[in-house]
Amino acid sequence: MQVRFWGTRGSLPVAQRAGAIRGKIARALMAANGRSFADEAEAGAFAEAELDFATWGAYGGATSCVEIEGGDGSFIICDMGSGLREFGLDAFRRIAQEGHSRTYHFFMSHLHWDHIMGFPFFGPAFDPEATIIIHSGHADAETALRRQQEEISFPVPFEWLKAKFEFIVHPADETFEAAGLSVTLTPQYHSHDSYGYRFEAGGRSVVYSTDSEHQPDNMESEKVFEAFFKGADLVICDTMYSLGDTVSLKRDWGHSSNVVAVDLCHAAGARRLALFHHEPTYSDEDIQRMHVETVRYEELVREGRRPLEVICSYDGLVVTV
Amino acid sequence: MKWSVEQLGDRVVGKPVGRVDEATWETFSEALIAAVRQAKAGATPLVVDLAGLDYMSSRGLRALTLASREAAGAVAIILAAPNDRMREILAISRYDKMFKVVGSVAEAV
Repeated sequence: MQVRFWGTRGSLPVAQRAGAIRGKIARALMAANGRSFADEAEAGAFAEAELDFATWGAYGGATSCVEIEGGDGSFIICDMGSGLREFGLDAFRRIAQEGHSRTYHFFMSHLHWDHIMGFPFFGPAFDPEATIIIHSGHADAETALRRQQEEISFPVPFEWLKAKFEFIVHPADETFEAAGLSVTLTPQYHSHDSYGYRFEAGGRSVVYSTDSEHQPDNMESEKVFEAFFKGADLVICDTMYSLGDTVSLKRDWGHSSNVVAVDLCHAAGARRLALFHHEPTYSDEDIQRMHVETVRYEELVREGRRPLEVICSYDGLVVTV
Repeated sequence: MKWSVEQLGDRVVGKPVGRVDEATWETFSEALIAAVRQAKAGATPLVVDLAGLDYMSSRGLRALTLASREAAGAVAIILAAPNDRMREILAISRYDKMFKVVGSVAEAV
């Protein structure tokens, strides 16, 4: 299986401002320390090898949208955040260049704005040859998407879309087959509920668990998540805040922390954790610091367990599972 | 994880030994809540002596939050003598900003 991250930011899309770019360039020039390069490729190789990711790269600012490859050849997408626009453009390219299937399976964690805002800009929705199947735990998924197209919000009504649409509501904790994958969804604590998904194919498993709060007064329930994450090859987890934030100022905001994600993955014997749904006020340096701290926390509490690889998702990251 | 509690002068001192993780947090949490109630009854602070604790994961940290909610501002909860590993965990979780952390039980006044 392959996982492509098209949008990794939480709550609201963000963009780099001039000051942030200036800082990156200044740090790169300081690191180069007068060194000269034969061409841009050599300079690029230097940047990637010698600079940290927050300096040579960027985590990106599109909201939740994650693609999974490895099913029956259909497109498989988790959530419709603003990263969906970029995915849609790439889907057209793959259809044209690679003859890719025009069937799209979406798996919706929930229907909050940051998870559906990419849909009005999803080009394939206008493709009469496209079939778009929307899987959800929410009975009101269709209502949410239609409402977003109403004239008060957007100039193109849902009825003008040309693709064939199908909405399927799934009961929680019952495995079903879709797009060549075995899929299970489980309810999570979030306003208007959210659902985590576990995808399995060919002996590999990927869990997508975003917008999920794990509250101190309900820690007994985490056995359910340990079972849901069990032995997963990759767990994509909401790590928006520090633990301190989630139990104080941001209590009941419906999000989780990096340290809880590590603990759940450890208890589940998962192999890899992808930090996801980054706080929109965080700079690249803030996210990188959170990543470094999470790697360290995993070491501190690992004890005799198998090491858990902790990666930090960014817009454009591709992970082979 | 083993737990003991004693009244030391004008403080209740709880002492977890071992580690607090997904297997032991419930025992820790119950003991901690009982110690908060004891401290509340005597109108004294509760010192959690971490000297014998290897580490606690988020389960233990969140048990501290439950204890803090039980204290409801009426009892100060002070974390004393964390080892280097625990100090790092407190910093990473930002719990060092939520609880007073001191180097020894004697300093927890």
